Amino acid sequence: MSGLPWAGWLAGIALFAAGFVLATLASRSVARFMLERSSRHHAAIVRRLVYYVILVLFTIAGLREAGFAPDVILGAAGILTVAIGFASQTSASNMISGIFLMVEKPFEIGNLIDVDGTMGEVVAIDMLSVKLRTPDNLYVRIPNETLIKTKVVNRSRFAIRRLDIKVGIAYAEDIDRARSLLLGVAGQSPLCLQEPKPFLLVLDFGASSIDLQLSCWIQSIDTLTARSELMIGIKQAFDSEGIEIPFPHTSVYAGAHSEPFRIELTGDGVPVAEQTETQQPTETTEEDPADAIKARGEGAPTETR
Amino acid sequence: MQNVVDRKSKAIVRDGQWGHAYQLGSGETQRHDLSETRLWLTLLDREWQIRTEKLPRSEERSRWTESLSLTLPGSGASLQRFIRPDESGTVTFLPALAGLPTVIRPYEPLTIPPQGECTIYVGTLVWMRVCVGSQLHELAELPLAAQNMTWVGSNTMEGDVCYSAPTHARLMLEAVPKRPWRAISPVLVRNHRKVPLLLERFSLPTPLLGIYRNTQGQLWTSLTTVTCETGMNAARLKVDSTVPVAAGEAELLSAPREKAERGGLIRTVDRMFG
Repeated sequence: MSGLPWAGWLAGIALFAAGFVLATLASRSVARFMLERSSRHHAAIVRRLVYYVILVLFTIAGLREAGFAPDVILGAAGILTVAIGFASQTSASNMISGIFLMVEKPFEIGNLIDVDGTMGEVVAIDMLSVKLRTPDNLYVRIPNETLIKTKVVNRSRFAIRRLDIKVGIAYAEDIDRARSLLLGVAGQSPLCLQEPKPFLLVLDFGASSIDLQLSCWIQSIDTLTARSELMIGIKQAFDSEGIEIPFPHTSVYAGAHSEPFRIELTGDGVPVAEQTETQQPTETTEEDPADAIKARGEGAPTETR
Repeated sequence: MQNVVDRKSKAIVRDGQWGHAYQLGSGETQRHDLSETRLWLTLLDREWQIRTEKLPRSEERSRWTESLSLTLPGSGASLQRFIRPDESGTVTFLPALAGLPTVIRPYEPLTIPPQGECTIYVGTLVWMRVCVGSQLHELAELPLAAQNMTWVGSNTMEGDVCYSAPTHARLMLEAVPKRPWRAISPVLVRNHRKVPLLLERFSLPTPLLGIYRNTQGQLWTSLTTVTCETGMNAARLKVDSTVPVAAGEAELLSAPREKAERGGLIRTVDRMFG
């Protein structure tokens, strides 16, 4: 015990502690300085760089004071690297992917990104993973390797984006009238940019509706608000102008060569429908023709909603 | 200043003024109607309260009315509360121009012949700064009307978000409607090219403009000179640091939001004409 160089060990520990404190203080100061002059992303990178450089320098100095020769440590580290490399391939892959992410910079801290169906704001880009905060305030950790391999959508890269809103109108409605109404809604909204101009597309003659798409440009940060506001505006405009937004429905039609539905009124007033092959509905022939048509089920398709 | 007694509330209705120090007593509420905004300012023992309500855009107004009352509006108005910075009960309203450039779009494009020039008068919407006390502590800055936004850039990747303001681009000052919430911005456009310049839109650097008030109480901004020398993509811009001659005698009410680089800023601006 008495042979141990206690003074050297204590000096080494003191140096390491001093390095830790100095690295923390310096990195915080640098980050504060950078935040006023640069983005959060760059501030975080510089902060981390300053922290690790100071800490490594003081650690090496501390080890030297404790009597460890740096060349021996580096030699041992080389052997350890091979051993650890096999055991930690995933971590190594993530670290290398992290370096690629830093160089390529597909996103920055504060950006809103989509990864594998997970959308969130980037809160940290670390050595092994990227951390996201989802809109419902969940903390999601995504390994860097995943980000390199998979498709990443950056929703904050450009200041503006196009917002597409699909809406269907009934076949009976006038498309031109609907078009002017929809463009009017976009023009009145303070969230829609005047240029690039909003436009309307007819997408499809759908099963139940003519499908339209209103496209307008908005600021990327307003996406959710603008979608909601525009949809409210469209509904109100269509309601006030009496334009129907149909929902999916099915028409049951017997066809020209089929026998009509026969409807009988029973004693308790409940109609009973039956289809006969030979018997004609004689009880309705002397009534009003319109009533007869109704009773036979013609011209009044049954709707199931 | 025109005073009218409101029959319903029996309050005296006067014309509102920029830069005037109104004195309020504790418990009093001052109401302002201007542009698309209705504003109530209330002084209490410990706090200031600002209530605002948006008025329909269709209502055409030309007056800014102010009245004093002891009643508060209903719950429909949005409320902001502020601790009183001092014991003073004075409130001053100061105008401010947009914090982003404003894209001026004439309803009908204007063609300027080669080597020609013209001065366009544009009515620029102002924001209202509510300042209280002798030190003019700013409580809030209120937009007086909804302003549409637009994108100015060569493509959708590079450019700037700006305010959009359609205008008649009047060439005669007498034809410009005078509104208390609009500052008259004279813009001198010089076409030094050998081909005509079709003026469909241009970007007015509103953050660089100061607001002046002349003896008639009208708001004016500094003269902006736009010189088109080569292409439509870039132009030389100069913002005067003094009140335009057409305004007559005037005083500075609000300094520009952003400092000009030099006394009379001259610089080349990309995308001046969109």
